[in-house]
Parts: sequence; structure tokens; C-alpha cells
Amino acid sequence: MTTHAPIQTTAHNAPQGERKNYLNCTTGFWSWASTLDHKRIGVMYLVGTSLAFLAGGLFALLIRLHLWKPEGALFDNATYNQVFTLHGVFMVFMFIIPAIPGSLGNIVLPLMLGTKDVALPRLNLLSFYLWLGGTLMALYAILAGGFDTGWTFYTPYSLYTDKAVVAIGLAVFVLGFSSIFTGLNFIVTTHKLRAKGLTWFRMPLFVWAIYATSLLQVLATPVLGITVALVALERWYGVGIFDPRMGGDPVLFQHFFWFYSHPAVYIMILPAMGVISEMLTVHSRKPLFGYKMIAFSSLAIAVISFLVWGHHMFTSGQSTYAMFAFSFLTFFVAIPTAIKEFSWVATVWKGSIALNAPLLYALAFLIIFAIGGLTGVILGALSVDIHLHDTYFVVAHFHYVMMGSTALAFFAGLHHWWPKIFGKMYSEFAAKIACAIIFVGFNLTFIPQFVMGSRGMPRRYAQYVPEFEVFHQWSTIGAIVLGSGLALMVVYLVQSLFAGKPAMKNQWGGVTLDWETPTPPPLENFDHPPVVTREVYDYSTVDFKAMRTPANTN
Amino acid sequence: MSDHAHHSVVIPAPGPGFQDHVVAHHFDTADQEFDACKLGFWLFLATEILLFGGLFAAYFYFHQMYPETFVACGRTLSWKLGALNTTVLLLSSWTMAMGVRSAQTSQKGKLLVYCALTVLGAAIFMVVKFFEYSAKIDHGFLPGRFFTDPAGELAHLEYPNMFFSIYFTMTGIHGLHVLIGAALIIWIMFGAKKGRFHAGYYLPVDLVGLYWHLVDLIWIFLFPLLYLVP
Amino acid sequence: MSHATHSHTAHDAHGEGGHHHVASSALFFKVLVALLFLTVITVAASRVDFGAANLLIAMLIASVKAALVMSIFMHLKWDTAVNRIMFLSSFLFLALLFLFTLADLSTRGMEEQLQRVAAPVADQWKHPNPSGGGAHH
Repeated sequence: MTTHAPIQTTAHNAPQGERKNYLNCTTGFWSWASTLDHKRIGVMYLVGTSLAFLAGGLFALLIRLHLWKPEGALFDNATYNQVFTLHGVFMVFMFIIPAIPGSLGNIVLPLMLGTKDVALPRLNLLSFYLWLGGTLMALYAILAGGFDTGWTFYTPYSLYTDKAVVAIGLAVFVLGFSSIFTGLNFIVTTHKLRAKGLTWFRMPLFVWAIYATSLLQVLATPVLGITVALVALERWYGVGIFDPRMGGDPVLFQHFFWFYSHPAVYIMILPAMGVISEMLTVHSRKPLFGYKMIAFSSLAIAVISFLVWGHHMFTSGQSTYAMFAFSFLTFFVAIPTAIKEFSWVATVWKGSIALNAPLLYALAFLIIFAIGGLTGVILGALSVDIHLHDTYFVVAHFHYVMMGSTALAFFAGLHHWWPKIFGKMYSEFAAKIACAIIFVGFNLTFIPQFVMGSRGMPRRYAQYVPEFEVFHQWSTIGAIVLGSGLALMVVYLVQSLFAGKPAMKNQWGGVTLDWETPTPPPLENFDHPPVVTREVYDYSTVDFKAMRTPANTN
Repeated sequence: MSDHAHHSVVIPAPGPGFQDHVVAHHFDTADQEFDACKLGFWLFLATEILLFGGLFAAYFYFHQMYPETFVACGRTLSWKLGALNTTVLLLSSWTMAMGVRSAQTSQKGKLLVYCALTVLGAAIFMVVKFFEYSAKIDHGFLPGRFFTDPAGELAHLEYPNMFFSIYFTMTGIHGLHVLIGAALIIWIMFGAKKGRFHAGYYLPVDLVGLYWHLVDLIWIFLFPLLYLVP
Repeated sequence: MSHATHSHTAHDAHGEGGHHHVASSALFFKVLVALLFLTVITVAASRVDFGAANLLIAMLIASVKAALVMSIFMHLKWDTAVNRIMFLSSFLFLALLFLFTLADLSTRGMEEQLQRVAAPVADQWKHPNPSGGGAHH
């Protein structure tokens, strides 16, 4: 059965009705808890990581409310340290790193590859339970006294503080293995389970992005594992390698930590970039400009990401020569990143643009990521970073790339694949409003932070000098606006599950294999194993006019 | 057009005393199952290399920082016991490789014998380790904050505790992997007895064998670093 | 759901590549002997002081032993390229960790050297010649 029949007549695309699909084929708690189906596992990740995002977001709101006043409005300093640590730990380890690969990756990757499931379904379920277990361990750590070291756990403070550092360290260790096994699974699936005719250069760019991410997950995360394990051992019997009192070197901790954590930020952004590639091509109805360059740039970013970690440590006491090397190498990562950004813009240029919600989020990404990426290059310059390190400039930079870019891409993907995953459509109107509110709120939150950071406002400070008050207050107002946009998003998405219109089989006119399945897909994804004969992103057979529905009409 | 009804791919047993193997349902062929699981396991071994690698990085770092300490403390370790353990592990690697080969050639009895010999090697290794650790503890050379040097043998060195922290941590984590490996081999032996492994299906033996060789690989590097200083 | 019981026999057991390659016992034994021999060499080499190269030589010999274990006992020699690349790349990235951390440690405290080079130039621009910039290169 080939996949080049003209797809989109209205009859073909009619709502699916209540046929058996992966959501309703079996029922009951246990059928979900013991599922081996990648789509169900992806949905569980979606729910879990969204709750982590909510928790991290609440901590963020607490931070911003506290910083309304220069002397601090809510907490004492020690509590404030815990709050920003919790914000960072929840967001980084329980939301951003697992969210796109765990939810969208799990659901969409096997569909895009034309296969029944991932290569190792039981390992996949284990990955999810490791995520869950790590999260529960983190919750325990909060109850057992919390942790106030910042999400970076720098020694020697993390060795001496009387908080539950061992507990949270072990939680991170477990979460790390969740990430490793997910990446392992995706690498094997991509190599071994592709449909017939699906060569590497016919694979959608989302797959390439997830593949590059998976390489990073497998190669970098173990070093985080040994690092947190060593911190735990340090606290237990005083190994001493990070403890200056015992002859150790805190800078070594930072080397170990950032050897993982720099590639980690690419674990966060690469899947997002993959999502954006898909959004732009489908909603501009145009093949991606520079497909191969985008594919290779994902791999290039993955490799280069291992060479630059010292740029997080420019004020730590590394040797100057090492700093020269790291700064110099940091600039190289801008090249493949820029290749992507320009290729994306060239994709949209002269495309047949449908201003659907996923595309709006993707366009917002293009703008926000440009700012985030450029400020990263600024920070990579050694002489400048000496002044900007540990200021709000850094905070704003990484929120632009993590929240403004990765999270926004996650939302884009969510809106794009929502009809496929749940068979329901949300209110397009509400989605566009929410996107606008989020965009405005986000920028309002973080642009003041760039400004005050460049003027010297340090990060992680519970109190500050009055000259920064107006910036902090605008930032807090922005955060509230951002929060309302996100709340609206949650409302209409959840509402769609109960009262949404049934989705079309191919809501947007995509030509990748994920849109060949029924909507929502049956348990085994495809009625017949697909055979691919077309090149990737070939829209010549799609009848877009016949696809116009109220959902797609502006 | 043929159905999409489920048919299981089955690898038949080569003879009496062996079992069929049913290929996991989501794979199309037995080869696909084998290739996928193998690749997955090699990726897992790659993560183990990086996990241990961090410890090696710490070793090199502090060896550079405190060279006299590391040389002098290395001398307190018994290179003879270290060499014995190296020999034992190399032999056990050989018996494990022969065990995998026996599975590949459907020789059930030999598989069991070679597995048993490998486990024996693991046991000898751990016993020797026990003696080594006891000797250190007798001198007061404990890891981390428990380090003491009552006889003042290492008092002239800076931070001798650092060497022993690293020594105990590295050999301790390695020892943990020896135990895990031995447990896995015992699990293989139970399966072997039931006839699960044969020329058509020996994947679990292969993978456990790879794990055991990894344990050996790590020791190959640990031994000269910790024990053999000029 | 009908379970059509037609089972596919794995006559593709001699399938792709050499992953079903069975090595000979003789080869395994030879490798064992080589490994034991190299262990003797390792110990012997440690008796000689090569100075700064001690660690390097020990690691080189260990690498040869490791290569034997990986290629023969672990069958990498007859395995797929993908498996080889995936496993060996871990060593590559580990080497990066070693390289940069040790480079950092070895070059610490060399700031005075930099000062000696940079100071004259910095001074020149800090207090430029009032007649129009310190422009002698």
C-alpha cells in the first residue's frame, strides 16, 4: 500500500466518529499504568510534564511577586533561595528536558517513521516511571527540608548546606536515566524501525532533531549522573574531590556539571527546533528550505555543544587560556543555529501561509529565538561575560531560549498535533488570543531583565537596590500577563477534550506519515505498514482548497 | 491483500531440550529484534563508559594536582593482588566469550560450565578485593572523612585522603558492577538450564556477555592507574 | 483477532552483516594469551621510569588490551558499523572531558605571562600619547 494517493478530499477528511483508537481500545487505570503503547506513554508524559510546568510556574510567580519590592515582599532570604532553586529544578529536570521528547517525541516519532511502536516499548514505560519516580523523590526532598543551592548545586555550598541535597541529587540521577533511556530508544527506533522506502533524507526534520537530541541524551547525561552521585557520596562519606577543605576543587564540580548541562540546553532546544521545522513547512504549505542543511545543522549543534561548556564558568577560576578556548569555540555554535533560523525564514517566504495557531506560535518563536540566540553570543564573548555573568542579563537570555523558544515550540507542537492525539479541535480564536497574550507577557517579563542585568542587577538575590525597582515591577506585571495567557491556553485545550469539535483526519494538510494514520490513531498506528515512495515535504498531491473548514478559515 | 492479523514470528528450537523463541510483537523479523536490542545495549554500554569516565577524569585531575601523593599512595597498594585480580578478570572474560560461543552453537552443557566459571572468577575477584580493603582499613586508610593515618606513614604527603577516596570510590563502584554482572550471569544460567538459548536465539547471553566484558574493560584501565606506579 | 498461526522460521538467521558470526575457540584462546602477556608487559613497564610518559605508556598498553577485548571478545570486529560508532564515540567525548579539564588545570596561574605580554599594549592605550594616539606598532 503506497502513500501517494491524493489525500485530501472533504469526504476523505471527514471527522472520524467513534471508531476504536488507542485512547478507547482498552479502559481502566491499569490499562494505562501498564501500557506499552508509545502514544499512551506520550500522553502520560504530557500530563506529567505539564503538571511540572505548572509547579515550576507557580514558583516563578512567587519569585516575581517577592521581587515586587526592593526589600523583598514575601520571604526571608533563606526561603527565597529555596524558591528559586525549586523553580529551576522543576523547570529544567521535570519539564523542559523531558517534555518535547517524552510527549511529542513519543507520540509522533513512531508515526513519522511509519512503524508500530518504538524499538523497546518496555524500556519506554520504564523511562516514564523513572520520570515519575524522580519527580516523587524531588517532592520528598522538598518535604525533607528542601534545597537552596540553585538548580546548579555548586560545591562547596551544596556539600555544607544542611538541606536535602542527597535526596534531590538522587532524584536528578533517576530523572537522568529516564532521559538516557528515552534517547536510547529513539536512536534504535530511528535506525532500525523505519518504514520501507523511508530513507534518512526522506525523514521529517522533527525526526532528525529528536535523533540529534537523543545522541546528546545518551552521551552527556551519564556525566550528570556521576556528578550528582559524587555529590551524594561527598555528603555521605566525604569523598573530597569537590571540597577544598579536603584538597578537592570546586571548579572540577563545575566542569563535570557543565559538561552535561551545556549539551543539556541543546537537549532542550533541538526538539523545539524540530517542531518549528514541521510547523513552518506544513502551515506555509511549502517544503523546508535547505532540508539537508537543517538536518546536518542539528548534528553539528549536537557535536559543538560538547566543546563549549566552560563559558558557564568564566568567573569561576579557570585558567585564562581555557577561557579563551571556550569563548572562541562558543561562537561556532552560532553558525548551524543561524543556518536554521535563515532557512526557516526562507521557508515561510512566498509560502501559502495559513495563520493557524501552531504557525503563530512558530512565528513568535522565530522572533524570540533570534533574541535569545544573539544574546547568547554576546554572553559567549569572554570580556563581556565577565561583567554580565550572574546578572539578570543571563537570566533573561536563558528564559528567551528556554521559555520563549522551547516552551513556545512545545505549545506550537501541542496545538499542531492536538487534533491527531485527541481527535478533538480546540477553539482557534481562543488559541490566537492566548498566543498574543503569551507573546506580550513574555517580552514584558524579560526585556526589563536584559536592561537591569546590563546595569548590574545580580541574579538569585532576594533583595536589591531601589534603582532596579521599576524594572522588577514591570517584569512582575509581565509575568502575571504571561501567566494569564498560559491559563487561558490550559482552559481551552482541556475544554476541547470534552466539548471540542471532532478533528479531521489530516487537520492541516501535512504530508508526513503521522498524518496518514486515522485520527486518533489506532493502537498499531497504521492499518497497513506504509511504504514510502515520495520525497519528503512533497505537497503536490494535497488539495488544500478541499481542506477549508471553519477550523482552517481565518 | 494479506491481513494484518497477528502472526507471531517464532524461532524454532533446534532440538529437544531447547525452547522456541517468540519474537516480540512489534518487530517484523527476528533479525530486527536482534539488531535493535544489540544497538540499544551498545548505547547503554556507551553510557557506562561515560559514567565511569567521570571518575577517571577525577583521577587524572588529582594525579596532576598532587603527583607525589598519588605515586606514594599507589605504592601502598599491593600490585600483586591487583595483578592477580586482573588475571582473574581476563580469564573470566575468556570464559564468558566461550560461553556466548557455546550458546551460539547450541551447546547447553558447555554454556552452563563457562557461565559457572565466570561467576567463580567474579567471586574470586570479590574475595581478593575483600582482603585488599581489609589491609587498607587496618592501616586506617579509609575513604573520605574517615581517613586516618595513625602510623603516620603518609604524613609527609598533602591530602593522602584524596587518593584513597578515589581508590575506594572507583573500585567500589566497579565492584558493584562485578556483583551485578555475576547476578546477570546466574540469571542466564537458569535460562540456559531450561534450554532458552541456542543458535537461533542467544541474544540475552550475548548482551550479558557484553556487560561482563565492559566490567573487564574498566578494570584493564583501573589496574595500571591505581596500582602500578613506577 | 485471529492469530493466524503461521510462524516465520528464522531462516534469515544468517542475515545481515556478521552479527551471527561465531568466532573460533582458537582465536579466543590466542586473544587470552595475548591479554595475559600484555598484563605482564604492563607490570614490567611500570618498573621502568619513563618520566612524564609513565602514565601515557601505561594507558597505551591498556588501550591495546581494551582493543582486543572490544574487537574479539565483544565481537565489534564483526558487528555493524553503527554499533561500533556508537560505542567508540563515547570514548571520543570522554576524551574531550579529560582534555579540557586537564588543560584548565595545567594552565592555571599563567596569568603573569599574559600580563607581561598584554601590559605594555594596555598601557599604551590607557594613556595614549596626547599628540594623537599611541600609534607605533
